[in-house]
Amino acid sequence: MVYYDYRPTIRARGGIRAQSRRGDFGSSWWAQRWLQTLENFRIGARLSRGRSYARRGQVLSVDVEQGVVNALVQGSRKTPYRVTIEVDTISAGDWEALREEFAQQPIIAASLISGRMPDNIEDAFRVRGLSMFPDSEDDLETDCTCPDWSNPCKHVAAVYLLLGEEFDRDPFLIFRLRGMEREELLGDDFRQSAQTLDGPPAPPEPLPADPDDFWANPAHRLAECDLTGAFTTPDAPAALPRQLGRFPFWQGEQEFVPALQRIYQAASRRAIDSYTRQAEPEGAPPNS
Amino acid sequence: MLVLHTAQLEERLVLWGEDSAARQDQTNADRHPGCADIDLLLEAIDLPDYDIMAGEATVWLPSKGNTPLPSSPLAGDAPKSRAKPRIRPWRVSAIRLDAGAAAEFLQSCQDRPVLKPGVILGPEVAYWYRAYRFGLSLATRQQYLPTVTGRGDRVIATWKPLFIGDDAHRLAQLASLMPPSARSVTNAAAPQPPTPAASTVLRAFLDVTVDHLVRGALGPDAANGGVDSAHDAWLHSLSSADGIIDAPLVQLQQLRQQVSEWHRPIAAAANAPYRLCIRLEEPPEPADDEAPAIGQGDWYLRYLLQPHDDHSLLLPAETVWKRRRRDARNPDFSPREFLLSSLAQAANLCPPIAASLHGKRPAGQKLPTAGAHQFLNAEAPALQQAGFGVLLPAWWTRRGSRTRPAIRARVKTPSMQGGGHISLSTMLDLDVMVALGDQTITPEELAELAELKTPLVRLRGQWVEINADEIREAADFWSNKQQVSVRDAIHISLDADDRAADDNVSLQTDDWIARLMEQLDGKTQIERPDAPASFQGSLRPYQEAGYAWLTFLRQWGLGACLADDMGLGKTIQTLAALQLDEEEGNERPNLLVCPTSLMYNWQRESAKFTPDLNVMLHHGPGRKRGVRFHKTASNHQIIVTSYGTMLRDAKFLSDVPWRAVILDEAQNIKNPVSRQAQAARNLPADYRVALTGTPVENHVGDLWSIMEFLNPGLLGTQAQFKRNYFVPIQANHDAAAASRLQKATGPFILRRVKTDRSIIDDLPDKHETKQYCSLTREQVTLYEAVLREAEARMEQQEGIQRRGSILDTLTKLKQACNHPRQLLADNSPIAGRSGKMERLHQLLDEIIPNGDRALVFSQFAEMGAIIQRYVQENFGIETPFLHGGVSRRVRDGMVERFQNDPHGPQVFVLSLRAGGSGLNLPRANHVIHYDRWWNPAVENQATDRAFRIGQTKDVHVHKLICAGTLEDHIDAMIEAKGDTAERVVGGNSERWLTELSNAELREVLALSLDHADD
Repeated sequence: MVYYDYRPTIRARGGIRAQSRRGDFGSSWWAQRWLQTLENFRIGARLSRGRSYARRGQVLSVDVEQGVVNALVQGSRKTPYRVTIEVDTISAGDWEALREEFAQQPIIAASLISGRMPDNIEDAFRVRGLSMFPDSEDDLETDCTCPDWSNPCKHVAAVYLLLGEEFDRDPFLIFRLRGMEREELLGDDFRQSAQTLDGPPAPPEPLPADPDDFWANPAHRLAECDLTGAFTTPDAPAALPRQLGRFPFWQGEQEFVPALQRIYQAASRRAIDSYTRQAEPEGAPPNS
Repeated sequence: MLVLHTAQLEERLVLWGEDSAARQDQTNADRHPGCADIDLLLEAIDLPDYDIMAGEATVWLPSKGNTPLPSSPLAGDAPKSRAKPRIRPWRVSAIRLDAGAAAEFLQSCQDRPVLKPGVILGPEVAYWYRAYRFGLSLATRQQYLPTVTGRGDRVIATWKPLFIGDDAHRLAQLASLMPPSARSVTNAAAPQPPTPAASTVLRAFLDVTVDHLVRGALGPDAANGGVDSAHDAWLHSLSSADGIIDAPLVQLQQLRQQVSEWHRPIAAAANAPYRLCIRLEEPPEPADDEAPAIGQGDWYLRYLLQPHDDHSLLLPAETVWKRRRRDARNPDFSPREFLLSSLAQAANLCPPIAASLHGKRPAGQKLPTAGAHQFLNAEAPALQQAGFGVLLPAWWTRRGSRTRPAIRARVKTPSMQGGGHISLSTMLDLDVMVALGDQTITPEELAELAELKTPLVRLRGQWVEINADEIREAADFWSNKQQVSVRDAIHISLDADDRAADDNVSLQTDDWIARLMEQLDGKTQIERPDAPASFQGSLRPYQEAGYAWLTFLRQWGLGACLADDMGLGKTIQTLAALQLDEEEGNERPNLLVCPTSLMYNWQRESAKFTPDLNVMLHHGPGRKRGVRFHKTASNHQIIVTSYGTMLRDAKFLSDVPWRAVILDEAQNIKNPVSRQAQAARNLPADYRVALTGTPVENHVGDLWSIMEFLNPGLLGTQAQFKRNYFVPIQANHDAAAASRLQKATGPFILRRVKTDRSIIDDLPDKHETKQYCSLTREQVTLYEAVLREAEARMEQQEGIQRRGSILDTLTKLKQACNHPRQLLADNSPIAGRSGKMERLHQLLDEIIPNGDRALVFSQFAEMGAIIQRYVQENFGIETPFLHGGVSRRVRDGMVERFQNDPHGPQVFVLSLRAGGSGLNLPRANHVIHYDRWWNPAVENQATDRAFRIGQTKDVHVHKLICAGTLEDHIDAMIEAKGDTAERVVGGNSERWLTELSNAELREVLALSLDHADD
């Protein structure tokens, strides 16, 4: 009894959309290497089956943990399919060796922090007889709850492709997949504790009881120093978000940075308007 | 009197007030005894369109025993107790403003001391206004990121300001200046006073300010888009009103994690004590320096660390690499790692830095010339904006016409001679050339430079940036433009033209126009014509100079702004210039516009100095209109009118071909969109004059309107002015723009100050002016009523009865001149009812901002109280009043504070009787006699409170006189008697008046006005 149970794919909402509209998923060399690794396992040809899924946002979630990727993909059934990709982790001992290797070359840390996989990083692995990417088919195991027998199915393929893009954004994800977290890898020097935008908490300041201090009028000192900075709209909008780059596993309907860019530009205009409005002479003159 | 205070509490700006008239609530010991109630606060801030939370709050204040100490003497008297003050909580009525309402409120206050009459602003208001401006600047410069925060059990999408580089420095400075009263409010009382750090409170304020600005940026309907994922919901809520993110809890948690992961690279850098600084260094100089050449050798980008608190300290990367890992002072901070991670950040914006990271211990990077140019133009600004320090060669940072190619245009001498027929619109012929530095360049050389295909060229030892296309484009533009108007020629010569600044256009001129330029520029002295033949009086040397200057600009049809300090005689200089124009053959009338209160002053001064000029007051309900006006006007030389009447009669006033339009107190048109300013600009005239005592050149925003009136088009459109001058100067402290503006306007503004001895070395130390004031219609009515009643009575009275009646009438008439409220002895409002009070206001408007101090004398104690109240409510400054009821101890305290307290009062009101003799008040350099005591000796004695040993400045004495009233007439009688006045009036200043016959008396008291104020 063979049924080809054809059902149209259910259009997913709020899934992770691949950012690449055409061509390769992931533009960096290491993302390319990731996809190439898969091709070497002769599953590359099947990757193309996942392209439209990845682009349409059928992948609802991707969760990268040490040694395993769990993802949900919306297929033709009501319940999304559960995709798992298991990758062999590198042993703790080997990681220790790698960390020593990295510590010799500060450039590796610098590149990684800036969101770039160092060009020579695979050499560092090779020196220790290791490989950054899985080097045999046995290191990689995939599974999907869909009824399609081919492996990888398009659901797995879509997750592969999206991972390529996410590696682009955050090279540390590859290390996590291989069993190493960012903080551990970089060592104490880069374990910046407070990662919020607020500064460290300030010490308490009691209120002075002397009325002259309490009601101090800073007017003339306020006027003396430049306490505002320029009122110049930057030539290149939204520099800070662009500096931070893509948002992790962006699922929004609009593209993230362009959406922010519109807001940043409008906000600059609004602030400049408020500034010139208040600084201009106002009201009717006193005598008429 | 209400003193408003503000403090930031959580997400809102809390407002409360001290009300000097508050009734103490005896039943509630926790309540602040002098706090303003909600209605008073709401009325004061007047923000009906905003959602405002009204309620209560706890304010922690320095207190003695059971009394809070007032913030200033205006808020109430401090308790006499000698106890040491301590901080304790008080319940107050308070309103809480959200960011939108707070912005509106702070913008309406700015850094003024008074919001409106009777509403004084505490020191925190100006502080928060400054902080608000910082928020505006952060938003303008886009120094913020979207984030998520928890509020209660909600997750909120917010925009958070970042303090990177200089902003970290500014934040610290601003926090250190916060008045403690700005962080002294809590929601409820507690056993211990709160101890919030200023920086925490300031950050809370800036957080909501920036969030508000960015959130609403796209308009009210902007929050849309998908809602299918937490990311969509986040983006949506970043523009929604409440910011609440609507998504399942699991997704929200994941979102928070992702956001902080996304922020990580910047969050680490944002809290470091250093910043990375990148310096571009030039290649070493070649031996052969002659031919223009592509630079030999490489440029170098050097990496340095720069501490936030000392920008002069630069730590080279080499040193950082050699140092031990941890900073001894700050063990949590590792400079090496900071350097590395900063370089990693910078590498994203600057590929050469990325390239340098492949070497060990990166300390810099070599650059070819093209790379250096790319760095200067593109990467350096991006790095700077991202908060990195960038140091560039000096020739680049001050690049101007010297090192960049320039267009030089030569004006051909027109055939006409002299200035008579030339207007600003006359067209002149041009020759256009291209120049590089001091050298003129041939088209071949230009082509050769373009061939080099390198944007930076070392030309005779000097680096020059070249954009051949741009040069050619500019040259084309200018060679096609074969003519230029005199107006444009002046712009360009004065370096004020937009295009000139952009393209380095310079103009060579010769003959008459060169002379004009030089004279305008102040390089050549202008000729000084003799004083006009029928001018009565003498001009001091600096007045002669002003008169000559007015005449010079008049001959060129250019507008002039005479901005001399009060008391230097702007009126007399203007009248002399008008008289000369008359004697040179002008036959058309001049229009003079001034505040109503000054109209009589002009009439008087003209009658005195230029009696040949017929003056007509155009004012009041009985004034001539239309054709009748035209007819009468043509028989007069000066038509004096008020700003209000100018506006009302704009239609027919603009039909007259005026010789000159003169605006006195020209700051009245400083708002360019006001109808007055527009009406003034529409009046046709051969030339225009603006008179003002305020230093216009210091108020950049006001300048455009006045200059547009004087010389239309000189500063470009209002939008251009805003872009080219206002924003750069006001907001960015751009010195180059300021000097360009100064150059462009300088020739048309003449300002001398009293303290400048080099110009004014011949002033007497005491300078007396009579200030003629008008009456309001109400004052006229009251004056006439008093008079009618008196006349009826005097006819029937004799002897001592008549004498008493006359003295009583005199007093009542003087009261009517002073203020209706004094005559009526009621508690009616003060503002807008007395011409004298208005004049006093104008005088103080110039005296107070100058940092000068004034004594105001009145012979009536009631009037003194009215003046005191008016000054306090309208200027927000403490104003003591010394009268007969003040005890000796209090009086001594007043004098002591006025004389010696660095923050002592600037205005001191005294009754003539209690303060007219015996006191030593030389700290005052202005003496205002609000009403007259017809005995010069008594007045002089009062004046001598200030004009005595210890006085270091000139003393200016202002005697206020209501024109056309008994004050005016009696003054004239005394003047006529000259030296003998003192003997005539004798000891009692008014008794002699009772000796006059009824007819004489009637003449003295009658109101000789054509019309009253309207």
